[in-house]
Amino acid sequence: MSPPEKSPARPLVVVTGTGAVTGFGWGVAPLFEALARGARAFRAIGRFDAARHRTHLAAEVPAAGRPLALEGMPHADAFAVFAAEEALVAAGLGRRELGPEAAVYFASSTGNMVEAERFFAELAATGGRRARAGLLASQPCSGPAEAVARRIGAAGPSETVSAACASGAMSVARALDALRLGDCDLALAGGSDSLCQLTYGGFNALRAVDPGMTRPFREGREGLSMGEGAGVLVLETREHAAARGAAPLAILAGAGVSCDASHMTAPHPEGAGAVRAMRDALADAGLRPDEIDFVNLHGTGTPLNDDAEWAALCAVFGARAREIPVASTKALIGHLLGSAGAVEAVVTIDALRSGALHATPGGGPPAEPPSSRTPVRIGLDGPLVVPGARYALSVNFGFGGANAALVFERAGEPA
Amino acid sequence: MSGAGGEAIRVRDPYPGLRDVVVTGLGALGAFGAGREALAAGLRSGAPRLSPVERPPGYHRSHSARRAALVTERDFARWIPPAAARRMGLPSRFAVAASMMALEDGGLPRAQVTPELAARGAVFLGTAFGSALFSEQLLGEIFRDPEQASPFRFAESVANAPTAQVALALGITGANVTLTLREASPLAAVAGAAREIGLGRADWALAGAVEELSPLLHAALDRFRALARPHGAQPEAARPLDARRDGFVAAEGATVLLLESAERAAARGARVLARVRGAFQATDPSAPAASWGCGVDELAEALAAGLARHRVLPEEIGLVVSGASGARRGDLLEGQVLRAGWEGAPLPPVTAPKGATGEYGGFLAGAAVLAVESGLVAAPRWFEEEDEGVGIVPVDALDAPPAQTVLVSTLAAAGAAAWLLLDPA
Repeated sequence: MSPPEKSPARPLVVVTGTGAVTGFGWGVAPLFEALARGARAFRAIGRFDAARHRTHLAAEVPAAGRPLALEGMPHADAFAVFAAEEALVAAGLGRRELGPEAAVYFASSTGNMVEAERFFAELAATGGRRARAGLLASQPCSGPAEAVARRIGAAGPSETVSAACASGAMSVARALDALRLGDCDLALAGGSDSLCQLTYGGFNALRAVDPGMTRPFREGREGLSMGEGAGVLVLETREHAAARGAAPLAILAGAGVSCDASHMTAPHPEGAGAVRAMRDALADAGLRPDEIDFVNLHGTGTPLNDDAEWAALCAVFGARAREIPVASTKALIGHLLGSAGAVEAVVTIDALRSGALHATPGGGPPAEPPSSRTPVRIGLDGPLVVPGARYALSVNFGFGGANAALVFERAGEPA
Repeated sequence: MSGAGGEAIRVRDPYPGLRDVVVTGLGALGAFGAGREALAAGLRSGAPRLSPVERPPGYHRSHSARRAALVTERDFARWIPPAAARRMGLPSRFAVAASMMALEDGGLPRAQVTPELAARGAVFLGTAFGSALFSEQLLGEIFRDPEQASPFRFAESVANAPTAQVALALGITGANVTLTLREASPLAAVAGAAREIGLGRADWALAGAVEELSPLLHAALDRFRALARPHGAQPEAARPLDARRDGFVAAEGATVLLLESAERAAARGARVLARVRGAFQATDPSAPAASWGCGVDELAEALAAGLARHRVLPEEIGLVVSGASGARRGDLLEGQVLRAGWEGAPLPPVTAPKGATGEYGGFLAGAAVLAVESGLVAAPRWFEEEDEGVGIVPVDALDAPPAQTVLVSTLAAAGAAAWLLLDPA
């Protein structure tokens, strides 16, 4: 696909605030601090009884730190609302009714499924008499986006992309289009998903979950580890941010989406769709591959994903694939499914600002290529220093062959 | 133009240089049958063809809705090779079948979708609830014994499975996007696909919606009092805009439109069913999670601003294809927003196709295309008593296809709103 022609008048879209909820806690601060240490958020699942599941670990969001105001709210809604409000505060917008200027472009793979599972369990246990239908009210994938719009009074467009693990990045791409075309002045783009038995049992049925902790791009890796949480970016045009005196954290320079159209659950073996998404994102940003300073990988830790992703990196970056710094955030916070791309975008922006790309821990030495296809510039034991990094790519791939890639540019001088 | 408070409504700058997009094919699969003619016949009949919904013990209340507009077609061999169909859940089969119908209707049969053409295609589908039955069955398996959970069922339980299966069936490697905005999903998906083409990232797209109605989903909708209920010997009936309405009739199926750049459609001599003039969205943040809100003024301002952005005056709208479904609060809000958007001036004719098709499955988008193309509107046999709050009497029939722009309107539970503007060919 040839890239779209760039309009010289196309407005620049900037990120002015970020928010996150992850297995490290509520907020970006605990996330960034833990990433800098190379800590991992995996522990025994408490959200549901995982005893009969094949695996037992996940990066579950701790109950501690959840604001009282969000008590009683379904998990994915609460993650979304917290991350959105944190992002708005960071953007200098505070907690106020935003009205028609603001849009919500969100993502989720299962919405508030864990609450629906409680309804299902009550249905089975009580023969339906005492199953609480209220548990289903926010179950659809659109639930978290609706909760955010309600909370902040966003009256512009609101929508939810559900493209499995590519959803979060795709929602950011949709927001980028909307801002460039003037559909809104300000967009909250992100995603939210909570741990639930449906996805935990489903990925285990596919034998895609590592019984221990995930080890992306390591030899002998056995699969992903599940996580949960939300990530939100406040996006606005540079002019809009400047008019209100907001300092950009980064520039969202480009996006690309594509489909493998080759298999429902396995990636294209050569990463053909991933290559297209990355190339389209680069073209959208007006960049050459050699201008990218580091890549935040999809990096699930499944044998098939990492092989296909490495093949895609080689196709896009050529020999430089072995030199370009890369990281998998999933090695630390797990796979957040529909919100993965959003949280990883938050992490990518922080790496651009700090000049350090977090480690990708996993234990054990990487085997030498070609058997493992391990990129040489992955931070195995500690962060990679990327001083002066200007452009970064964040990529996500999902079931059904959905792919999305985002290009971020550092705003301001390097750290 | 001013808002409810008298302040000027902000009209955004016009879109910069997007390519023109046209509709050249329509595929639909519902309780009415398969294909454009079946949908047209369903609209003429004025009522959905209802079937009993399974009632597993404990799911439904004794006085609940009992029937829905279910797809009875189970032989998909005309559209999907049996071996491929076996690897799909029901929603995927609905979506792929409707996609193949849309291609055929558009004079672009599957055999003509070359890899080069597929690389310039995209798929945008909407769904309110995703794969209901497989999710429920998979959960049952996991609750019984996680080791026995079906990986196939898991793969097909994700909301984007039908969208992906359409791409797989045709090798389409462009954007593959599944949007979930409850009842506003179909229009948002069509708008998304039109934008993808308008921006030049695709030359053509399959766009629409798919929905599957499981017994549990039906029971859940009923528990939220969303569904019309039977009254004595009278079966449940959708009565959009009528004072006696008591909910919608749930439906399942799929609607897929073939969208193309006007340039590409002209180059291949395709018949144009409608032109996509524009689309816009808004949100009513006052809406609770399972019902409609009260943001009449805000939605009416969004409607007025959207029309103005697309350079359409209210008096230039020849027909409103309304998403009114029979929902008590939803139809009231729809009527109030339309009337406020017209600022007291007489509304153009309004049709409410969900009275004939039921809610979900994207049939609103298909009905809108038929209305633009041929002037066909749903026969409002359900309508007897005007609701003063709603203030709209659905049109019986049109003398001729509308010569002016058609506004398609849908306000979803939980707040999403989407509008689509279609022009005659």
